[in-house]
Amino acid sequence: MTSMKITRRTFLKVSGATAAGTIMGGLGFDLSPAEVYAQELRIKGAKETTSICCYCSVGCGIIVHTDAKGKVINAEGDPDHPISEGALCAKGASSYQIAVNPHRLQKVLYRAPYSSTWKEVKWEWALEKIAANIKKSRDASFMEKNAAGQVVNRTNGIASVGSAAMDNEECWLYSKMLRALGLIYVEHQARI
Amino acid sequence: MADKSFFIDTTKCTACRGCQIACKQWNKNPGTKTLQQGNHQNPADLSASTFKLVRFNEVEVPGGEPQWFFFPDQCRHCMSPPCKEVADEKAKGAIIHDEKTGAVIFNPKVKIKPGDFKEVREACPYDIPRISGAGIMAKCTMCFDRINEGMLPACVKTCPTGAMNFGDRKEILEKANKRLEEVKGTYKDAMLANTDDVRVIFLIVDDPKKYHKFAVADNTIGITRKMALKRLFQPLTSLRHMIG
Amino acid sequence: MTNHYIDFRNADVILNMGSNVAENHPVSFKWIQAAKDKGALFIHVDPRFTRTSTKADIFVRLRSGTDIAFLGGMIKYLIDNNMYDEFYVKNYTNASFIVNPKYGFNDGLFSGYDSTKRSYDKSTWALEKDEQGIPKRDMTLQDPRCVFQLLKNHYSRYALDKVSQITGTPTADLEKVYKAYGSTYAPDKAGTVLYAMGWTQHTVGVQNIRTMAIIQDLLGNMGIAGGGINALRGESNVQGSTDAGLLYHIWPAYLPTPRSPWATLADYNKNNTPVSKDPRSVNWWKNRPKYVASFLKSMFGEKATKENDFGYAWMPKLEPGQDASWLNLFDEMYKGAFTGFFAWGMNPACSSAHAGKVRQALTKLDWMVNVNVFDSETGSFWKGPGMNPKKIKTEVFQLPCAAFLEKEGSISNSGRWMQWRYKAANPPGVALPDGDIIYELFKKVRALYEKDKGTLPEPILNLKWDYETGGHFDIHKVAKEINGYDLTTGKLMANFVGLKDDGTTSCGNWLYSASYTEAGNMAARRKKTDPTGLGLYPEWSWCWPLNRRIIYNRASVDLDGKPRDPKRPLLKWDAEGKKWIGDVPDNAVPPMGTTGAYPFIMKPDGVSSLFGPGLNDGPFPEHYEPLECPIEKNLMSGQRINPAIKVFEGGLDAFATCDPKYPFVCSTYRVTEHWQTGVLTRWLPWLIEAEPQMFCEISIELAKLRGIKNGDRVIVQTQRGKLEAVAIVTFRLKPFNVAGQTIHQIGIPWHFGWLHPKDGGESANLLTPTVGDPNTMIPESKAFMANVSKLTKQPAQPAKKTTKS
Repeated sequence: MTSMKITRRTFLKVSGATAAGTIMGGLGFDLSPAEVYAQELRIKGAKETTSICCYCSVGCGIIVHTDAKGKVINAEGDPDHPISEGALCAKGASSYQIAVNPHRLQKVLYRAPYSSTWKEVKWEWALEKIAANIKKSRDASFMEKNAAGQVVNRTNGIASVGSAAMDNEECWLYSKMLRALGLIYVEHQARI
Repeated sequence: MADKSFFIDTTKCTACRGCQIACKQWNKNPGTKTLQQGNHQNPADLSASTFKLVRFNEVEVPGGEPQWFFFPDQCRHCMSPPCKEVADEKAKGAIIHDEKTGAVIFNPKVKIKPGDFKEVREACPYDIPRISGAGIMAKCTMCFDRINEGMLPACVKTCPTGAMNFGDRKEILEKANKRLEEVKGTYKDAMLANTDDVRVIFLIVDDPKKYHKFAVADNTIGITRKMALKRLFQPLTSLRHMIG
Repeated sequence: MTNHYIDFRNADVILNMGSNVAENHPVSFKWIQAAKDKGALFIHVDPRFTRTSTKADIFVRLRSGTDIAFLGGMIKYLIDNNMYDEFYVKNYTNASFIVNPKYGFNDGLFSGYDSTKRSYDKSTWALEKDEQGIPKRDMTLQDPRCVFQLLKNHYSRYALDKVSQITGTPTADLEKVYKAYGSTYAPDKAGTVLYAMGWTQHTVGVQNIRTMAIIQDLLGNMGIAGGGINALRGESNVQGSTDAGLLYHIWPAYLPTPRSPWATLADYNKNNTPVSKDPRSVNWWKNRPKYVASFLKSMFGEKATKENDFGYAWMPKLEPGQDASWLNLFDEMYKGAFTGFFAWGMNPACSSAHAGKVRQALTKLDWMVNVNVFDSETGSFWKGPGMNPKKIKTEVFQLPCAAFLEKEGSISNSGRWMQWRYKAANPPGVALPDGDIIYELFKKVRALYEKDKGTLPEPILNLKWDYETGGHFDIHKVAKEINGYDLTTGKLMANFVGLKDDGTTSCGNWLYSASYTEAGNMAARRKKTDPTGLGLYPEWSWCWPLNRRIIYNRASVDLDGKPRDPKRPLLKWDAEGKKWIGDVPDNAVPPMGTTGAYPFIMKPDGVSSLFGPGLNDGPFPEHYEPLECPIEKNLMSGQRINPAIKVFEGGLDAFATCDPKYPFVCSTYRVTEHWQTGVLTRWLPWLIEAEPQMFCEISIELAKLRGIKNGDRVIVQTQRGKLEAVAIVTFRLKPFNVAGQTIHQIGIPWHFGWLHPKDGGESANLLTPTVGDPNTMIPESKAFMANVSKLTKQPAQPAKKTTKS
């Protein structure tokens, strides 16, 4: 009896039968899918925001859809974008999971010297403590003149790496701050 | 709405897997736990969480460079879906054939028993149907919600190279045949897979088995025998249904 | 990039070498496919058959680290077969220039080498000048001391057989590539090259690219549609972050950082402003003093005055020759030189070469600030493998920042397109955009210096830091600062042409001047007109400099300003209207045949450099083996490794060459589904599903040799460290025949790290060496020596994923 089931091997016969006529019946169309899913297009009426992908340097256009509460509900290619024309690779197509992801860092965390755990802290506290650290390290390591007596005005004791992950304006602002603090060890992804 | 079809041009697929992920993104299907098992295809197979899967297969060419076949697998949305024929007997309304587009849709509101599902899956020449733990069948929906609004299916829209195409069947057939002519000079074995029987037409340029075991429906049985089997089949399944 | 992504479609031949474009810049393959659809030939040259290779018309293998030999052979082939664009070579390159008679090259060393310093005195590489100070030329290219003859002579040594022995590429394959790519020497043919870290991450990284630049010059492929030298950069804004001067050696827009001997701004300008006495050379960098003064005005605002040198003295100065680049930075940190450290949007504990050393270096700090979207091996280094938190003093601040779609601002892609993006949603929890964090942090620092002056408070107290609206940080104000202002009117600069050195203009980054003008935010433009039909889209976003989409574009026309390639007219001179039509011209001077100037305006001599006397390791590229290599002798010369590289010694640094313990050449690389160290991809379920674990790709032959089966767990080990991986035994890797010796190549991705997922595996950079290119100090991560062996105790077989669901 089992040999009588429709199997992969008999598929073409089935379609052949349809081509030959409707003698078998039962192969017609029925309910529309809209009736079974009873679901509207989930992005209908959603707010659209254009963005540019954060991964490689092609610069593909992305449209992010957010619902009435401002939550990201969809992210897909921007068809108007002349480079990507709506396309996204595996990474770009995953953008939604950057926004909607329980692993995201959501708190300011502090790890004290010799501690084995993170502690949640407030922005204000963290920024003030970092600022105090900066001042302490800067003042302690600042070199106004080198051995030859030339003015160098640099902070030898602080280094920075980062970041191509920031926007242009943020990069510029960061560079400005670091140079004002006297850092010379300023590096980022472009070097590696 | 006119009859719809896909054309999947494997000669243009770079296996970027944009389609695989865009499908998950649109359907909000979860990422599943996988392991590296000695190749780049992952997940290993289609599932109730993976409707679209780029299959990778590497073939040695003695004395030359290897071949690496990419096959963006998905439901073919058959013209006459055998899965539906079985399902209609087992779980009425579990599979729907959309008149407007030709999309074959698994109804998430209808459960199916594991044994019956097995028959549905067996009926599919492309081994597409999958089932969730809750007994709901799942596969590609043709993004019917998108296409009803005039949008492209998520996998097609995201494809960078033109491997994935979608549109009115007539135009898609023209496009597929035109491309077939273009590549014939380079690939003597180029073919369109089961063009008349499915709404997802793959252009492949080598032995289908090199792409995927179920890339093309097996067509080794002569028409006469198939017709005979078909005739036998109908009353028996009805009988089983009554007994069952 | 000199060109841009869409421009790939204009090429007749595309050479992808030193990158894996289909996997790492997947959507750009759209434009390679578009070129192929029009009949273009796509060539891929790589040690490994990748997803890119599957689409190549010609795929050819070479041993990692031998690109100069491969391309040097092409230079010889092109010259021997007269396959070069003679007009272009004579008029637009320094082929005809005469070189100092003391210049020489012998057995792998250029003249002027000092072995004790491992460096060159470059004075003998200079070009000869006449009494007016203009370079001497021989337009017949026959003078034995002219660049063309020296080039021909230098590469005469790169014969097919020799190249084949070094690269492991069969001679027939070499010829196939040379002939195909060489076909673009015709003026109406365009050839483009796409490269990435496969060229830069070598101890001959810059010279790899130089070799290709020479080829592009010989073929007349620079400054044309469908041509150029195109770096596929690895990150969405690594172009912009470089432009912003986040590197030790440059301020924004490629102004060199000052050195201690340059006490005044005048000293700085004198030492950094090139001079050309040739009236035909535009020598654009002659404008440097205007850009520096305007930059300092953007730093210190009204506190920057003519009298105080615009605050020049407050800016930090390095010592002459001091190299504060990445590898040295972490070397210094390891030695305890720093108390404080920012790892801002970076994960050096996985991204740095010799990451094991970096992780140790982090324990030497007093404090570290780590800003990221997800937790990383850097932020959590103190609880990583082998670390005992109770013994680690480093105080760590982990600050949560907004992801790209949760803030507004611009980024610059590899094609120099500056694209504005908008905020779609709020960041989660208390996360803030990086800009807000920087802005608020500096205000805190300033408050401390206001309260207690501390050491040299002036640069801090005088810094112009007024980028807020309604009490909140305002990114648009920074964007405008970058564009610059005419301080006499308070209006935004229209572009950098109007910048001055007298303090009446300010500009944060002269290359970006014209991006945000009185007419609005140019980066946000979305108009899709394409007047040239070449896909330049001049009104979509904005590109630096001056919205010029293809740089050096005047090299595409003849001396009368007519397009040399009538099929792809990028620019043409309208003699009646006295203007250029097409792309924004690379300087709007008239054609060279009239009163015009040379097209390569950023070069002091106005022409492209076949002979490059400015680099640290020679004016012509020369093949040297990687620091760690599998063969005892460099077949080209007596110098096995690049004579100008810095070798780090002692501490944790160790290297192995021709050591039977580490017999295989190893490269690190990326896959489509992950990005960099994986901080932005490993936490995404869809991506980690697609590429879940560390792997090591090896050939069938090597698998047999080591008794490894596909899917086995293996140990990959170098002098620096070891890690576990899953073996992918593949036909796509093959051993090389290098001068009769069988050399195996293996490869590993660098996306993983111990933090997440738990079974994902460790960072490939635990294995890579601390050694860099002598010009850029980019680490040699593409060719080092490793061993691979089967893990003796295989873990319990993971449950085979069922095909049923």
